[in-house]
Amino acid sequence: MYEVFEHTADLGLRIEAGDLPALFSEAARGLFSMIVEDLETVVPASERVFQLAGTDQEYLLFDWLNELLYTFETELLLLCHFEVHLEPNSLKATARGELFDSARHHLAHEVKAITYHQLSVRQIDAGWRAEVIVDI
Amino acid sequence: MGKPGFFGPLEQIAECCWKIPRSYKPGMLVDGLIYSSEQMIEQIRGDQAPEQVANVAFLPGIQQASLAMPDIHWGYGFSIGGVCATDPREGGVISPGGVGYDINCGVRLVRTNLTFAEVQPRLENLIDRLYHHIPTGVGRRGKYSFTFDELRELMEQGTRYLRGRQLATKRDVEYTEAHGQLDGAEPDLVSDRALQRGADQCGTLGSGNHFLEVQVVDEIFDEPAATVMGLQAGQVCVMIHSGSRGLGYQVCDDALHRLRGVPEKYGIELPDRQLACAPVESPEGRHYLGAMRAAANYAWCNRQLLMWQAREVFGKVFGRSWEQLEMELIYDVAHNIAKLEQHRVGDVDKQVWVHRKGATRAFPPHHPEIPEAYREIGQPVIIPGDMGRASWVLVGQPGSMQQTFGTTCHGAGRAMSRTAAVKHAAGRQIAQELARQGVIARAPSWKGLAEEQPEAYKDVNLVVDVVHRAGLSKRVARMRPIGVIKG
Repeated sequence: MYEVFEHTADLGLRIEAGDLPALFSEAARGLFSMIVEDLETVVPASERVFQLAGTDQEYLLFDWLNELLYTFETELLLLCHFEVHLEPNSLKATARGELFDSARHHLAHEVKAITYHQLSVRQIDAGWRAEVIVDI
Repeated sequence: MGKPGFFGPLEQIAECCWKIPRSYKPGMLVDGLIYSSEQMIEQIRGDQAPEQVANVAFLPGIQQASLAMPDIHWGYGFSIGGVCATDPREGGVISPGGVGYDINCGVRLVRTNLTFAEVQPRLENLIDRLYHHIPTGVGRRGKYSFTFDELRELMEQGTRYLRGRQLATKRDVEYTEAHGQLDGAEPDLVSDRALQRGADQCGTLGSGNHFLEVQVVDEIFDEPAATVMGLQAGQVCVMIHSGSRGLGYQVCDDALHRLRGVPEKYGIELPDRQLACAPVESPEGRHYLGAMRAAANYAWCNRQLLMWQAREVFGKVFGRSWEQLEMELIYDVAHNIAKLEQHRVGDVDKQVWVHRKGATRAFPPHHPEIPEAYREIGQPVIIPGDMGRASWVLVGQPGSMQQTFGTTCHGAGRAMSRTAAVKHAAGRQIAQELARQGVIARAPSWKGLAEEQPEAYKDVNLVVDVVHRAGLSKRVARMRPIGVIKG
């Protein structure tokens, strides 16, 4: 699950999940829920594969969200469904979604960037929790 | 989790200045100084912004103090409203977080020879046409598109490049801070990703707090200065607030990625990763400066193209050319930038890197870097407020050179978080409320307007009162909004 928390000029995203792949997948949904008004309006029609290298969980989460943001901004590809596989030194993910269509999708925020401010990924009793603040 | 306040020391040391002593945290190299008023300081204690002022005091080579303007609010790394100067010869650093993602976000003010009475009957048509003609918001491409080679030229030359394309005049270039071009831009250091994001976004407004506003001069406070700028009560103006769009965000992002592990390499200990930095005189520092200056030049071109499109719309709506409407640029200021400037620190004149993160340059009269026409009155400072209340024109004062590295505030500053603002707006129609106040607002979403509603901001008049009383800049004119387009 994910929730948006307040940060004066920007928006924070708090994610909790039972394991790390689910945490990364929920984080991705959280990001797109800030970009588009209603994530349910996005149909998982086409597929895109992402591969990223990295060992530090926080940097890897950052790079993952950043890659998704770049894909959206350059291709207007809205993504809603994610399958994430984590290896010790890398992330591989299959994401599904569709191109932005102004007739069906309402965009909510222009996310300028993912920030490192108070970026955290840590273990909790029920699994994992991450926090990330994005620049609006 | 709500927003935790600041419980550290804040000592009032002057009528408009509060100090966080360097003894507050081990690692602070200088004091933190926040310009404020008794009325505003309690709100400033309400979030982590003062902690961020203290954190910036850790940056190697910082001079005098870590400063903050009265429109300070919680940012990431640096607070918004933060100012810091570093001396490269004392190991001074450059920090991309001290500029922000939106490199050279800034404001320009354009005058017209139209009065409110002339504009009012066509106001709704004017705002609708501006909204349709000027790309705003997420996912709208600009009408201008540049190849990568053209972009590199544009980033090297700044607004001068647009003169060659007949999209800027000599006067436009002259009345832009730094003449719309920072020397030392290195477009080759701007990544393909940044170019990709920037190729069709030059001349687009963007989203968030960016806007184009039609305003009326409400009251003049300094007649001689207003006359020099060609401003008088009842006159209609256009204010534009935008920055370097995706290109600048990507340049900042690339720089922060490159800086992973770099502070550690130079033995720099930081309290927040977002403060990542490198010595100015290091390969990493020089790389960022070359790319940052290129992005800054792009931002000036963006605001120039936004103004150009506004001129086209005014021309169509009023059936006269923009030249006949005398739509001249009064001035353009950057408020997210780092610049190498000469300042007196103690008894010594130094070249320092001034980081302005949500703060505006405010050079006093006779400063060589301001246009000839403004030498006697000081540099115009454009302060956007919120879309319901007011915006301001100020001029720089000698106090800014003595106290704040030639800097003043940049806007109202947020009082409510975006989520709080949306809750506050529940069940309300912000556009209709604004219309009843005489402001026509066009924006793609209810949420966007809710987040940017006037109540989400501090009262800009209180912010301006502080910088005026502190001698950083002087009131010249107040404008009220009559129409606004948002992304």
